[in-house]
Amino acid sequence: MTDIIHFNQVGYRYPGGKDVLSDVTFSLGRGEMAFVTGSSGAGKTTLLRLIGQLCKPTRGQVMVDDVNLASLKSGDIAPFRQRIGMVFQNFNLLYDRTVFDNVALPLVIRGFAYSDVQRRVRAALDAVGLLNREKSSPLTLSGGEQQRVGIARAIVSKPALILADEPTGNLDPEMSKEVLKLFERFNQVGVSVLIATHALHLIVHMPHRIIHLDNGKIAARRPRTPAMSDLPPFPGEDAHGR
Amino acid sequence: MAAEETLQVQPLPFFKRLTQEHTRVFFFSLGKLGRNPVGTLLTALVIGVALALPAGMHVLTQNLSKISYSWQDSLQLSLFLKDSVSSERGAALAREIRDRPGVQATRYISREQSLAEFRSQSGFGDALDVLQDNPLPAVIAVTPERGRNKLQVEVLLGELTRLPEVDLAKLDQKWLERLYAILGIIDRAVFIVGLLLGIAVVVTVGNTIRLDIEARREEISVMKLIGAPDSFIRRPFLYTGFWYGLAGSVFALILVLTGTLALSGPSETLASLYDSTFTLSGLSFGSSLLLLLTGIVLGWIGAWITVWRHLAHIQPQ
Repeated sequence: MTDIIHFNQVGYRYPGGKDVLSDVTFSLGRGEMAFVTGSSGAGKTTLLRLIGQLCKPTRGQVMVDDVNLASLKSGDIAPFRQRIGMVFQNFNLLYDRTVFDNVALPLVIRGFAYSDVQRRVRAALDAVGLLNREKSSPLTLSGGEQQRVGIARAIVSKPALILADEPTGNLDPEMSKEVLKLFERFNQVGVSVLIATHALHLIVHMPHRIIHLDNGKIAARRPRTPAMSDLPPFPGEDAHGR
Repeated sequence: MAAEETLQVQPLPFFKRLTQEHTRVFFFSLGKLGRNPVGTLLTALVIGVALALPAGMHVLTQNLSKISYSWQDSLQLSLFLKDSVSSERGAALAREIRDRPGVQATRYISREQSLAEFRSQSGFGDALDVLQDNPLPAVIAVTPERGRNKLQVEVLLGELTRLPEVDLAKLDQKWLERLYAILGIIDRAVFIVGLLLGIAVVVTVGNTIRLDIEARREEISVMKLIGAPDSFIRRPFLYTGFWYGLAGSVFALILVLTGTLALSGPSETLASLYDSTFTLSGLSFGSSLLLLLTGIVLGWIGAWITVWRHLAHIQPQ
């Protein structure tokens, strides 16, 4: 499996501040799904921000989809981001537009024909179970539905990689499980998925790799395995997987 | 798989994409303004008043120029001929001068005609009887061609002064020079007022767009997060500037037209008191188009400067 993300001894320090990430080295294979876990301030979001080019590493090298991010010029960043689907804890929807318009935005930005936009937006909404809400305002949707709109927007341009930063952070446990299952469904059709979360209890029984960050460093790694019950508790996990 | 499907549906070719995108933003920005009609109309009205002032002053100077142009008919050069020049030669000289470029008409006034005119108009008829000789010279009154400027008339005067038959040449142009000077000041004032109010339009549009950008800060941030290039984010704001400029200049046209119509009656009444057929002219078709274009360009510039200054400061978090 070739890598879609490769971090090589990556460090990030706030200007004049402390190290947020130190010597982080890991890879995400194409078509793989993995979680980045850790407590608040562990560096999960910074790791995703580095991949999404929202900040630049102060040390090391980040490769995404065969692109060395250090080589990107400012004008290349927007086209690069178009290749990634991003999902956020606070949904980041445009509340003065309909669900359809929100999901269509990445395609409109890329300049697809309206007929293609319509077809693909409906397919994406169908995939997240919101086809009947396409004309609704996001304000009329529940938190879980809003997150599903965010996921539909992330997948509509069929990216090779989805990044999700605490996608279940504002959802109840049932809705969180549904959202994670959605990510798994997209992963099953070949999309690479990297999810940052502190909700270890929701993911510990899922058969995906976990990279655990502590104080900006990789503290533990759990490989992908279909039989999780045989493994000892993961750092931060209690005996009940919480 | 994702990559394969991406290949099946590709973005439109560049020009098709550009056309589709501009059409979309054209109506999107118009709709956005339409959802806030009061605010939009007030902004457009402010721009309209700012544009109407220099446009109205331009109309005023155009009409004053028209009046001065008609007064130019009364502008004459007086060539006083030497006493040795015979009446026949004087009349022939008048015809020669009339054939020169830059001359519209000439009139030869013999010494006898001069004396007769002076006698009838001056009231010194009895005094003239005492004189043994006619003291008045023959005169050729030269009317320069219409549209000749001051410098051209002065060149003509210089040429005619050098004619051997001419003793003295005079141009009574003081009043015209004063009028031109006043028009020059008004022209300059229109330019300065236009410049200042143009800046005011740019600032007005810029400030309105700035508030719009601030209100849509989160939206811009989200767009940047999902890969919208600056050109995509900038475009609706530039179109908003375009619409403000267009609406403002349409308001300005309406204001100038209304002002012209309101003043045309009284000005014609005044003109008729001076036996003139002068009618007040409004903005010409070309000037109206120029006003529309100026409004659009100023609106666009105001939007562009603001977007350029503020967009870079909004970074997705």
